[in-house]
Parts: sequence; C-alpha cells; structure tokens
Amino acid sequence: MRAILESFAAAGADSLGYAARWKAEHGRPVIGSFPMHFPLELAHAAGALPIIIQEAEDPITDGEGAVFSFYCGFNRSVADQALKGRFKVLDGIMFGDHCVQLLGTADVIRWNDPDMPIIFEQPVSSLDMAWAFAETRQVYAHLKQEIEELLGVVITDDALRASISLFNRNRQLIRRLYALRIEGRAGLTAREMQHVVKSSMVMDRAEHTALLEALLAEIEASPPPAPQGLPVYLSGHLCQAPKLELLDAVEQTGMVVVGDDLYHGYRYISTDVPEDEEPLAALAHWYIGRNANVPCPTRADGDADWDDFLIRDIRRTGAKGLIVLVAKFCEPHMYYFPEIMEACDREGILMLKLETEHDSMPMEAFKTRLETFVEVARRRLAATPPAAHVQVERSDAEQQYQ
Amino acid sequence: MQNSNISDARGVHSPTLKSNRLKSTRIGSGIVHDYWSDLFAAKDSGKKVVWYNGTYIPPFFQAHDVAWVHGEAWSAYLAARHVEGDAQSAGESRGYDRELCSYARTHIGQALMDKKDLQDGKIDPESPRGMAISQLPMPDMIVNAYPYCSSGQQWDEMIYRLFDKRVPIFHVNVPMLWGGRKDAQYLAGSEMDDKVAYVSRQLRAMTEFLSENTGRKYDWDRLSEVMSYIKKSAELRLEAMDLCTATPSPASFFDWIVTIAHVNFMPGTQRLVDFFEVLKAEIAQRVADGEGAVPDEKYRFFFDGMMNWNKVGWLAEKFAANNACVVAGRYTHMSFWQEPQAVNLADPVPGMAHNYLACPNNSGAPYMIGEIDRLCDKFKIDGMVMHVSRTCRGMTNSQHLIVDSARKHGRAALFFEGDVADESFYKDELLNTRLEAMIESLDSRRAMVA
Ligand code: SF4
Ligand code: SF4
Repeated sequence: MRAILESFAAAGADSLGYAARWKAEHGRPVIGSFPMHFPLELAHAAGALPIIIQEAEDPITDGEGAVFSFYCGFNRSVADQALKGRFKVLDGIMFGDHCVQLLGTADVIRWNDPDMPIIFEQPVSSLDMAWAFAETRQVYAHLKQEIEELLGVVITDDALRASISLFNRNRQLIRRLYALRIEGRAGLTAREMQHVVKSSMVMDRAEHTALLEALLAEIEASPPPAPQGLPVYLSGHLCQAPKLELLDAVEQTGMVVVGDDLYHGYRYISTDVPEDEEPLAALAHWYIGRNANVPCPTRADGDADWDDFLIRDIRRTGAKGLIVLVAKFCEPHMYYFPEIMEACDREGILMLKLETEHDSMPMEAFKTRLETFVEVARRRLAATPPAAHVQVERSDAEQQYQ
Repeated sequence: MQNSNISDARGVHSPTLKSNRLKSTRIGSGIVHDYWSDLFAAKDSGKKVVWYNGTYIPPFFQAHDVAWVHGEAWSAYLAARHVEGDAQSAGESRGYDRELCSYARTHIGQALMDKKDLQDGKIDPESPRGMAISQLPMPDMIVNAYPYCSSGQQWDEMIYRLFDKRVPIFHVNVPMLWGGRKDAQYLAGSEMDDKVAYVSRQLRAMTEFLSENTGRKYDWDRLSEVMSYIKKSAELRLEAMDLCTATPSPASFFDWIVTIAHVNFMPGTQRLVDFFEVLKAEIAQRVADGEGAVPDEKYRFFFDGMMNWNKVGWLAEKFAANNACVVAGRYTHMSFWQEPQAVNLADPVPGMAHNYLACPNNSGAPYMIGEIDRLCDKFKIDGMVMHVSRTCRGMTNSQHLIVDSARKHGRAALFFEGDVADESFYKDELLNTRLEAMIESLDSRRAMVA
C-alpha cells in the first residue's frame, strides 16, 4: 500500500517528469490540458498520454513579468512554468475553459513559444440553454478532429469507447475510495487522497487503474482504522491542488476529512461518461451532467447551485463542519462564496474560510484558526442533543460509489 | 531632464485647464441624459425592462420596444457621480471580495443591497445614493452576452440568484476567437465564419426569449431600421476618428471616452446620427484650423485598458498638462461597432454577431496586438499608457504582451494601477512618476535623433 501511494505521490508531484519518462518509454506523444472541463479520453484514444497541467511548487520568477500578481496562483505558476521551458515535453496543449484568467495565460504561452501547438475549443458555458448539448457535441467533434490532425492519427469510435470505459473504471475505483472514506474504512489521509486523484490526472490510466485496484483490495482487506477526529468537509480550490501542508494541518488539529468537492478530489471523478451512446454525444452528456452532480462556479446553470449541493453533500458524508479553501483571486469562487456562506448560516453549518496563495501561506495563523474551529465545533456538538446532529443521508449519488 | 509640466499635472485642480475638449460632446450628453430619464420612467410608461451585461445588443431590445439597463453602464454612471463607494461596501458586507470585478460589485451591491436598505428606510431617499437607487427600474428579464470575460457571465448568474431565480435569464455565448486555424486572420477565416453563425443562432433564439416574455411577435423590420441608424452613426464615428491622424490631433481619447455610451447602449435614432455628424464636422473644422485637443501637443499616446470611470477628467488634464495627447485606445478604437460594413441591413443579425465577436479582448493576443500596432502606426503613437485595471482581468490579460510588442516597434510604455469603478486601487503618485520617466525617455530619444 505504501509503495502504491508513494508512486502516486511522485507522479503527482512531478507530472512533467513522469510524462517525459513515459514518453521515452512508449515513444508516444503527451498532450497537456488545462482544467477543468476537457475530456481527456479524446487524447487518450489518439494514443497520447493526456495530462492535466498542474501548478508547480516553486516560486514565481520568470512568470512575474507575464501575468499580474492579482491572478490566481495556478495561472501565475502555469505562465512561470511555460517561461522556464518546462512544457517542452508536451506535444500540444488543449484548452478553452471558461475562465478569463486562463484565456490570458494560454496567450502568454503562445506568445513565448509560438511553436507549441495549442488547440482551443470552448464548450458552451451556459449549460441550461437549449443548445448546450448540441453545440458542445459539435465542439468536441472539432476537438477530436484537431487532435487527429495534430497527432496524425484517426480516432476510431472503438478506441474512444475503450478510453471512455478505462477512464470510467478509474473514476469508479476512486469513488469507491470516497465511499470507504465516509464509512471510516479508507484509512487514507487527506494528503493521500490528493495523491490518488492528482496522479489520476497525469498517469497512464491503465497503470493507474491497476495500482488503484491493488490499493483498494488492500484497504478492503484491512481492519477499519480507529475513528480519528471531528469529521469535516473540504470545499473549493478549483484548478489547483491545495498545498499538502494545509491538508496536514487540518488533520493535525483534530479533524478528519470525510468528503470534499475539490477539483483535486471528488469534483474530478464525480461523473462517468455514458457508455451506451455515440461517444461524442456521451462526452457532451458527461460535460453537462457533471455540473448537476457537482456544480461548478465557472459554468452558468440555473438548475444547479453549488451551495445546495454542498449542504446535501455535507449531510450525506456526516461532516460536522465545512472548510472552504479559496485560492486568492479566483473570481468564480469569489462570486459564489457569499451564497455558500449564507447557506451555511441558514442551515446552521459551521464554516471556516481559508484563503490560500501560491507563494506565501501563513501556516501558523491557519493552524490557530483551525484549532479554534475545532473547538467551536466540539462545543456545539456537546451542546446539541445527539438526535439533532447532522444526519448522514444516503443519496442516489452515493449509489454510484458501489 | 526634469519635465517642468509634471508638477502641474499633479495640480489638476489649477484654474488653467489645458485640455481642449470637443464642444459637440455636450449634444451627446443630452442624448445620454434623455436615455436615463426614459429608462427611469420605463415602468410608468408600461415598458418591460431587461437588464443585460456584455456586448452592445440594445438594438435587439429597442426593436422590441423594451427598456434596457446595461449593468456596466449603470456602474460607470454611479462611479462617474462618485456614489459607487457605498454600493461596493454593500456588496462587501455580503461577502463579495474586493478583488472581484468592481463593475459587478457596484451593480450587485447597489441594485440589490442598497435597494433593500432603501425599502427598509435605512437609506435616505433624498440623498444622492437614495435617489440613484430608487430610480433604477428592476428587471423583467436578464440577458447575458459577455464576450471573452467569464466574470461577466458569473455576475449575471449572481443577479439571477439574488432575484431568487424569479426573473428569466438568457445567455448568449460569445466565444473567443483564438485564431489557431491555418486560415486565421484578425476577424476573418473559417473560425470567424463558424462563430458568426453560432452567435447568430443564439441571437435569433434571444429574440424568441424576448417574445416569450412580452407576448409580442418580434419585429425584424424594426431591427433593420434601428440598425440603419446605428450603422450610419458607427461609420461617421470611424470617419471622425480617422481625422485624428492629423497633428495635432483634433480630438483625444477622452473625447471618445465620453461618446462610448452612444455606440454602446444609446438608442439607434436619427438624433444619434445627427450627433455624430456634428462631432465629425467639429473635428474636421479643427483639422482645417490646426487646432488640437491638447494645444501644445508634443507627445502622442495610446491608452490601453478599461476606463477608470472616476478619473476621466483628472486623467485628461494630467496628460494635457504634459503636452501629451492620448490619441487612441483599445477601449475606444477597437470595441464598439468597429465593423459597420459587416452589417447588411436586409439581414442584420450575422453582421451584428460579427461586430460582437470583434470585441478586442475576444481575439487571441497575436491578432489583437497586430491590430493595436496597426492603430499605433496609423495615429503616430510615441508611447503606450497601460491602465492596469485591478479587478478587470478581461482587459489586463494581454497587457504585458502588448507592451512587449510596442517596445519592439520602438514605442515607450508605462503601466499605472487603477480600476474600472473602485477608486481605491488608483495610485496617483505612481502614475506621476512613471509618466515623468516616460516623457524623459521620449525627450532624450528625440534629442539623440536630433
Ligand atoms: S477558475 Fe479560479 S483557479 Fe481556475 S484558473 Fe480561473 S481563477 Fe484560477
Ligand atoms: S472583469 Fe472587466 S471585462 Fe470582465 S465583467 Fe468585469 S469589467 Fe467586464
């Protein structure tokens, strides 16, 4: 189990290094994708290794003069990596998500490396418009064609179905881990859960899936770990993984994470691509459907509310508090945060907001706030009769864990 | 060499103002004034009201006889009257972060939080703040049609939620023109063709949305008629802008800024056409007389970035005090009905879509910057004034690249910080110092050439 988790951690920490080794070994291309809504299955079906481009750990230096300091850490880091020449391993980048900051960063990459092929396709961002499905299918058809042209291959329906099936299997296994986590049987720390998901964004999916199966088998065969602390829910952090020391701090202050909607978490693996329909239509349905499962603030969707989802999911997982991780300058998150705050107030859910930055993290101050949060939550729990505690609800969504 | 005008620039309140603003813009103010008066009376005259954000779609509303409130314009209206601060505080008190688009914060804060406080008697209805809020008619429909900037879409989603999803909303996606295809050019090529068709389909669907929510059939002939005035006005405006290649420039960026409203959200009427006729005639006369917008024009600048609405007069004087004419800008010269020739009055929708896609932010950097460089050559620009509008990533995205290109073309450049509608981000001292440095470097360059 340790060895598997270590290999996940290593791939996640140095995704471009992993990609370079994979490329040398397999002699096949690597395609980078910006978060958060691109179907990597298309690049996989073309024989490439698709990876989600990650924020790097190192301080922003070269990127300082390319992207202003009031942009989110992910954008600044991506520009910095591009200017440091780190993306040379990539045979192309695909992007087109609906975040204005990412659109600018992609242009910074193109400006500084005009030879890097960048495929741009923009799926419909207002999901409740009548044409969202048809137009998105069209966008994906075009994306497929561009990947084919870039890599000089034809993506057959059979290959695409096989990729969809492999990716679904991978997501299902991670969701199984999530279900075990709610039951208190996963025995993985928040840091380890991030290793699992982050590596699934960058590793060879067949390799990752095989390792996941082995990991799950071990976990399921092990005795359940002893209860570890106050159950809490982590929300937020789009595009970029929360820093590991922050996740550690949550646990070190007496909490255990039982659920999350992080992009480097449940958001990424929430939804499968339907396997019983024409593959491009299936991908379009996946794109629209996942917003119903875990609403994303970068989409416009009158039928889905992030705050409603959060309240439901907090109840489902049995969390006794919510920690919202906001990446500083992340506009979509800043727009929706007041909704979440008010929903928590309304529902009596204790909430703590921590604003994170790429370069400087006031860890000591965060720890103090986390300690206070735990204390308040414990006092509240002690003052409330057990029957009034937040109920663990088993929802339809949870059925798909099984 | 210390530039002697710099200290004057700080003292912009001195009685001797140097900028020579166009007189005909006063006629334009009348049009804007009447638009707001009509809007404030819209409900009384039985009109439905649509709130919209993004590109200049009012001809669609005008043709259907509904009143329209442009969220950005409303925020700019408040900022220009210096009553935006309370609205922003109201937004902040609900948890909207100060780093969010200040247009959005002003609009959300003022229209909703302040509105509620007014109803609850917490704001004096006779105060400027109270007067501004009580006038704004609440929406019967919301339309979002924001090119490029995701913040624009999220802003309207918030408005939709703050009205408890009771007001129907419609989104027009105006996708970015990345320019990755082999045949890509600025506003041309197969990507442009595909996206014009896509946006046109949505605009037609938007007219159905308007019909559904008013119970009236959409009047396409009326749209053509409205567009005939808009098209003519846009042509006159571009012709007048072209006259500013003259030295000294007869009009400045700040004159164009105060006529943005006219090509952005004023009704398409003969009165609008007449205004641009008069404006063009005044500019032509100035060219004939050798009269400049800055009397002793010595430097010609390009303004990049969103306008700093609470600083329009201040900035106009600051540059004029330094004998610098800001001749053109991305916001004024690339953003509104820039391509009137694309509009076919017999079937205006595709040409309108073409213009909406032409929002400069919406074109990939190499294409947008190519166009900026072309304009700078045309208007004989010496230096770039880059307004880094803190909360507007839509316009700050490519500014480093714009400067990179400008420098390659031998132009000087400065960055200054500010914002569209949040005064607290503006740093006057920084601008003074940087302007001084840029002027010094231009002077020494000229001395070397001489
Ligand atoms: S969605 Fe947020 S985290 Fe992602 S790129 Fe945009 S601003 Fe950054
Ligand atoms: S950030 Fe700028 S472009 Fe975006 S909605 Fe605000 S003002 Fe408009």
